[in-house]
Amino acid sequence: MQKSYINSLYQLLKKDKNVISCLSDSGTDYDEMIAREFPNQVINFGIGENNKVAAAAGLASCGKIPFVYTTSAFLAYRSYEFIRNDVCIQNKNVKLIGMGSGLAWSTLGVTHHTTEDIAALKALPNLTILSPCSPKELEKCIHAAYEINGPVYVRMGMSNEMEIYPDDCTFKLGKNNVLLEGNRGTIFTTGSITSEVLSATKRLSDEGFSLEVVNISTIKPFDQQSVIEECKKNSVIFSVEEHNVIGGIGSSIADVIAENKLDVELIKIGLADTFAVGYGTHSQVLEMNRLDKNNIYEIIKNKLS
Amino acid sequence: MEQELKELRRQIFLTGYSVNIAHIASAFSIVEILYSLYINHNLKYDSKNPNMENRDLFILSKGHGSLALYTILCKAGFFDKKFLASFCKPGSVLGGEPCIPHIPGIEATTGSLGHGLSLGVGMALAKKLDGKKEKVYVLLGDGECEEGTVWEAIMFAAHYKLDNLVAIVDCNKIQKMGSLEAIMSIPSWKERFLSFGWQVEEVNGHDVNALDQLFQKENNIGKPFVILANTIKGKGVSIIENDPRWHWRLPNKKELKTFTAELEISEEEIQTCRKAI
Repeated sequence: MQKSYINSLYQLLKKDKNVISCLSDSGTDYDEMIAREFPNQVINFGIGENNKVAAAAGLASCGKIPFVYTTSAFLAYRSYEFIRNDVCIQNKNVKLIGMGSGLAWSTLGVTHHTTEDIAALKALPNLTILSPCSPKELEKCIHAAYEINGPVYVRMGMSNEMEIYPDDCTFKLGKNNVLLEGNRGTIFTTGSITSEVLSATKRLSDEGFSLEVVNISTIKPFDQQSVIEECKKNSVIFSVEEHNVIGGIGSSIADVIAENKLDVELIKIGLADTFAVGYGTHSQVLEMNRLDKNNIYEIIKNKLS
Repeated sequence: MEQELKELRRQIFLTGYSVNIAHIASAFSIVEILYSLYINHNLKYDSKNPNMENRDLFILSKGHGSLALYTILCKAGFFDKKFLASFCKPGSVLGGEPCIPHIPGIEATTGSLGHGLSLGVGMALAKKLDGKKEKVYVLLGDGECEEGTVWEAIMFAAHYKLDNLVAIVDCNKIQKMGSLEAIMSIPSWKERFLSFGWQVEEVNGHDVNALDQLFQKENNIGKPFVILANTIKGKGVSIIENDPRWHWRLPNKKELKTFTAELEISEEEIQTCRKAI
């Protein structure tokens, strides 16, 4: 997804001189290349996320459109009060781009994981939260974030996400996207774990369990109608996320089910109120935390058998 | 001018007293700084057009001094006395900490300490990038400088040569629980800012003429500018001066006599306040 972000950012920097890429020593070689072409539009704030977030609000007060890019754990946790007070309360046109969300920083361990950010950030008024599942969808999200005149958090992955959209991505702001149709149950998912869900679903489908898969790429505002429709269609609902089961998309779905008195069963698959453990590749760490395709497959199969 | 300054303090006190709340002492220490900026027009603004394109920007980072700022904005014509009198009453937009977007003349929501200078460096950077001449002024408390973000912003402003940024530190040497010296001492403010690459001036923060001179000083040496304003917390009422107990407190009946005598407040005005409570 990183490459996709850089490409999208490049297009925006070229299109609009008010777009400013705000780094906190968080860029790559590509950022250095971009900085040579747009020296006045790439600012490295050094290792100081809080100053960067508040300064981005100051830049936005004067008409700039800052894209604040860093590891999502440092953005969502360290800078939470700055996001709240300077960006959200003051409703500034700041784009917060959290990179390496979920367990993507798989060799660096728990300080670099982002598995409570949705819970923390979705309670902030004025903030739009986007969570793309593939490089193509990220590109759409970055352009959508640019078009929104207000605060946006984009929860992006890292570098090796599979492209799940063969042709054009059908991203629509505020709308969930049905990736697969099925009649034994519906799986809601978000972000880069979507590819694990699709692998699990294929195996289940081969064994005769036809499942609907819905991609939640806009976490806030939440597409309630999509949940209502899925609950009318299927009586077993799963949520799968690289996040604590407390406060993530599963919780948003539970709210809709309760508020609309929908008669379904909800099974939340995620981190069970625990920090993730272990080191390895992203896939290996997902497996250690029972969030890989095989575990997703087993949980769902056990439920439906 | 002395009478005007006393009148401002009188107004600050009466406005706070009428709702039984206020950071009176924190407001009293910055009256002359705000007077120099707004009343002596060292800040470029148009009170009838608060969003004027080429205005200078002012941020009260020590948001709890809000009553001083509101009272100055009222005097400068941003709003009338009736609006000021609504302070902290139901239906009002004037709260204990400044908030955008409904108060004419307020540029940023502050209150949590350690945000204003970072907001200011963002604004100053935007002005620089656009080749604009306006300046950005940020007023901080000295106790506030214990927040780490302040120093992130100080480093950033120096590195990016934000010579359109003016920070004023209200050095009243007292924070909520006591003196800075006892709580978190800084041996030399001047040396600290100099070592971070800023241009530094020290001044008596209650001397309007001296403040005027500093605000009018040309700053074109590629460095952000900090004015260390030595002030007295609670300046203007003898019993609250330099006494941390008055950070968040209003006078009892006996103490009130000193306030009314020194600020020339009539019994009738006090009765009006009491009725309002």
